[in-house]
Amino acid sequence: MFIDIDCAQVKKFGQNAFGDYFISKRSENQERVLAVLSDGLGSGIKANILSCMTATMLIRFIEEDIPIQKAAQIIMDSLPVCQIRKISYATFSAIDCRNDGSVWVVEEGNPSFLWMRKDEEMPLTYKEFTSPKFPDRHLKLYQFKAEVGDRIIFCSDGVTQAGIGTKEYPLGFQRKGILEALKKYLKIYSNISSTNLSKWVIQKALAVEENNHAGDDISCGVLYFRNPRKALIFTGPPYNRMKDREYCLSFSFFSGKKAICGGTTANMIARELNLDINNVSQADCGDLPPIAQMDGVDLVTEGILTLTRAADYLERDELNHKDAAGLLVNFLLESDIIEFMVGAMLNQAHYDPSLPIEIEVRRTVIKKIKTLLENKYFKQVVINYI
Amino acid sequence: MGKVQVKICQGTTCYVMGGDVIKSLLTTLTQKYADKIEITSARCLGNCNESDSFSKAPYVYVEDEVISSADLEKVIAAIEKRLDK
Repeated sequence: MFIDIDCAQVKKFGQNAFGDYFISKRSENQERVLAVLSDGLGSGIKANILSCMTATMLIRFIEEDIPIQKAAQIIMDSLPVCQIRKISYATFSAIDCRNDGSVWVVEEGNPSFLWMRKDEEMPLTYKEFTSPKFPDRHLKLYQFKAEVGDRIIFCSDGVTQAGIGTKEYPLGFQRKGILEALKKYLKIYSNISSTNLSKWVIQKALAVEENNHAGDDISCGVLYFRNPRKALIFTGPPYNRMKDREYCLSFSFFSGKKAICGGTTANMIARELNLDINNVSQADCGDLPPIAQMDGVDLVTEGILTLTRAADYLERDELNHKDAAGLLVNFLLESDIIEFMVGAMLNQAHYDPSLPIEIEVRRTVIKKIKTLLENKYFKQVVINYI
Repeated sequence: MGKVQVKICQGTTCYVMGGDVIKSLLTTLTQKYADKIEITSARCLGNCNESDSFSKAPYVYVEDEVISSADLEKVIAAIEKRLDK
């Protein structure tokens, strides 16, 4: 199973910093995903610092293999008390899950998460522990086994309390409000990604707020257990020309989505697999070379300029461009496990000092894209140099 | 007589050396020959990678004639030469 994870957030209206903090890590062997959502007391910078400290400490403890319950207890017992409100400085939810479906969740003060199987809520059972130091602090520990298609949806109280005091939602959106909306939505959009579902939840919460102004920081994290969507990108011809055919065949046999980034690479694949490359008239190609079309390949683009631009778009969260790099970004984000076959053959002409712009080295750009996809978009990325 | 085939390389080197500009301007400037020529883009034609041709991008093919360091003037001249034949 692949665990697709993302979080969407909105700041409290009028604030310039998020008071909720979300952090997630995928283990190097890709078998384990950790996530923490912490809600700092108050809002703005102060809340941001409190929640950031709580979440980063907690995730580091769990990452270092301190059992999740113990890690959460250490944090619960040590969080300071606000002198004015007499409550703890931050609340949190932490999730530790493996790709065999084993899930552990701890919560302290945050609304209870939702475990959804298709469009139905799964019942939750938990053990409760009270802090020996602060009797008003209670830790809930859940343990269960998720199946393919299950989702875990966890929110800050900005979601459950959205719209509070309004005529329609005097007590706020509440957990049951989100649950009802989710059931209807998931019945229609059963394959929705975590990115889009988390965005939908916060938009739903924002929609019930007065004047659509967030009364508190609103955050929603989603974990979706699913069969991974695999993608392969072939960029650059192999170092050893004798191996062109071998690599082209392995590209053609790949089961998943396929893209080619590079004119010479596309020519080589067309030659070895006896395929035609057709030009595509692309209205929005912008200032990048246009895409092409090849049977059995989902996307064919120019190489280094397009890859460099795609890295920029990923870095700047510009995900709506329609040029070749924008299409490549969509291709990448619609996949979970992404493999790059990077040919080591260099095109000497790219390093001609008389070129009007500097052309990046392919390996450097691919490494940058890998880091962005892993750290910012929680993808699993493999690079094979050929 | 078939249309004169004009292929403009849109490989990375040719693209940054102005192949893209040639393509869009050529399409506009050769309107009067629109029914006699066909302008298409090509993936990297590989010319830039031959050691004796360095620094001669962009490349344009007018039928079987390879125009290196192509500019609008050279390409239009080559097209008109073909049309006069």
